[in-house]
Amino acid sequence: MFRRRRTLAMLGAVALIPILIAIAVRVSSSRATGRGPAFLDQISQNGLFVSFVAMVVAIPLFLPLTVGVVAGDTIAGEAGGGTLRYLLVAPAGRVRLLVVKYLGSAVFCVAASLTVIVFGTLIGVILFPTGPVTLLSGDTVSVGESLLRSLLVASYVTISLLGLSMIGLFISTLTDVPVGSMAATVVMAVASQVLDQLPQLDWLHPFLFSHYWLSFADLLRQPISWDSYGSNAILQGAYMVIFGALAYGRFSAKDILS
Amino acid sequence: MSVNLKKWVPATVATLVVAAAAIAVPISANAAVSLPSKTPAQVLAMVGQTKITAFSGTVKQTSALGLPQLPGGSASSFSGGSASGAGSSSASVASVLSALAGSSTARVYVDGATNQRIQIMDSLAERDAIHHGSDVWLYDSKANTVQHSVLPAKTEKTPLRTTTMTPAQVADTLISKLDPTTKATVGTNLRVAGRTAYELVLTPKASDTLIGSVSIAVDSATGFPLSVEATARGQKTPAFQVAFSDVTFAKPSASTFAFVSPKNAKVTEKAVPTHTAHATAPGSEAKTQPKPTVVGTGWDTVVESPASANAQVVKLLANKQFTELTTAVTGGRVFHTSLLNVLITNDGRVVAGSVSTERLQAVATAP
Repeated sequence: MFRRRRTLAMLGAVALIPILIAIAVRVSSSRATGRGPAFLDQISQNGLFVSFVAMVVAIPLFLPLTVGVVAGDTIAGEAGGGTLRYLLVAPAGRVRLLVVKYLGSAVFCVAASLTVIVFGTLIGVILFPTGPVTLLSGDTVSVGESLLRSLLVASYVTISLLGLSMIGLFISTLTDVPVGSMAATVVMAVASQVLDQLPQLDWLHPFLFSHYWLSFADLLRQPISWDSYGSNAILQGAYMVIFGALAYGRFSAKDILS
Repeated sequence: MSVNLKKWVPATVATLVVAAAAIAVPISANAAVSLPSKTPAQVLAMVGQTKITAFSGTVKQTSALGLPQLPGGSASSFSGGSASGAGSSSASVASVLSALAGSSTARVYVDGATNQRIQIMDSLAERDAIHHGSDVWLYDSKANTVQHSVLPAKTEKTPLRTTTMTPAQVADTLISKLDPTTKATVGTNLRVAGRTAYELVLTPKASDTLIGSVSIAVDSATGFPLSVEATARGQKTPAFQVAFSDVTFAKPSASTFAFVSPKNAKVTEKAVPTHTAHATAPGSEAKTQPKPTVVGTGWDTVVESPASANAQVVKLLANKQFTELTTAVTGGRVFHTSLLNVLITNDGRVVAGSVSTERLQAVATAP
């Protein structure tokens, strides 16, 4: 998958988010305005914040978009390209193909969130002064611990995207048109976030797979609040179980014609 | 076809298992708790004798006061600019509203009377209040501001005043007001924050108050209040609830209270009025701050504050957002919530109480 030019292009686009943010803050006057996404004002004083701002910006749309493309392409892409039946001619079995395909998109989730954090940290170190980081609670931690917390954020975001990947895998088994399943997966991510904004549906919010996406900020409190990390992991696990089983049901019962 | 149907069995089973877990876990948390039975007086005594002075935990506050909800109030990661652009008065109305209408989560650390810390956890932001010895710090991560005050040497009152109170504070306030106007009963035993608890239900005997009942969960082992719920008359779900979602009775580490204001934060020093200032000029103090009058006792108490104390309120009357929230009645405007009514009369007096609008009007027009 990583040999495909499209995957590299998407990771490059994801890496561009922190770079663009850092350059924009660098060239504009570094006066704190109190506007824009969270943490933006801190960048000019401490470059380590670039990766956090980039994550806040990337989570609602850019990351789900790229994950949707990868996960939506898994089965439908092979079917659309006419290669699916050749894959199944080998005695590997359909379950194994599903598992391998899902692992592939999970690896992409890791790569995408690490890309944001790594490139954000690099460009921040290059363009801005660095130093001990002020957390949301007002406490200050050393550079080393803040890098550790950046990696925790990356792992949190990776877990957050696993549920969406499984939804994408399921949708991908429904169709032979890869573009359709990619678009449907991205639409699911957007729809979930829209529903999460409506106060009339607050009973539904804890069950939406995007509900804890922005709660990665809980890792930037002192002491770390692990509640949302656990809730998020359980929620994503539930989505993986349900949609994994649905994908199995659909894919193993499907007539492979292409 | 039957083979194909079998392939869907895992999907059905997985969905059912997850749904069952989602339903069963909250139910098992509320499974019946058996505790030795106690009279209301014994439970009250437990609260009074609790020896807990150091604890830490997470407090969740939810309100359903019948106020309009603001969309995205809890997830306003990008709304930093709108508040500064929309004018300060409407922004402050909105922030007060979201504090009243929404829910909030806070972490509380307490070690005795001189070490306290409250962290109100907003989405991608946090507000902290730290009391350490004679220092009080208020930190706002969104604005990156610090407000520091030094308390006078002898202050016994805890200085932390935030919109989120711990259940213990709320319960103390309520129990101190217990009097013959209240009927206290022990309800069904509960499980709060993973601990077994007695439920103390306070029901007002007065029939003209808006409050239906107040229920306090009292930890069965320590007598520590774990949650407080207030239910409006004639409603089933609580209108206001503050409860621990987890709590430990261990001393929080000392570093929790050692706050150093972060580099780059805007620090303002705010002086605290000292007791000596009060002592030297008691007369002028009384003149500038006219005292509110209290009508009645118990649950149907009505508080009336004279117009001269309410210059800010009169200004609010001109605010369009505020007038939309209130309803016009004879003699003024009423701000209605399910637990409290506030009448702002046309001549600027504020009359408030947990009673019906008619009762407020009667108090306002009484000589």
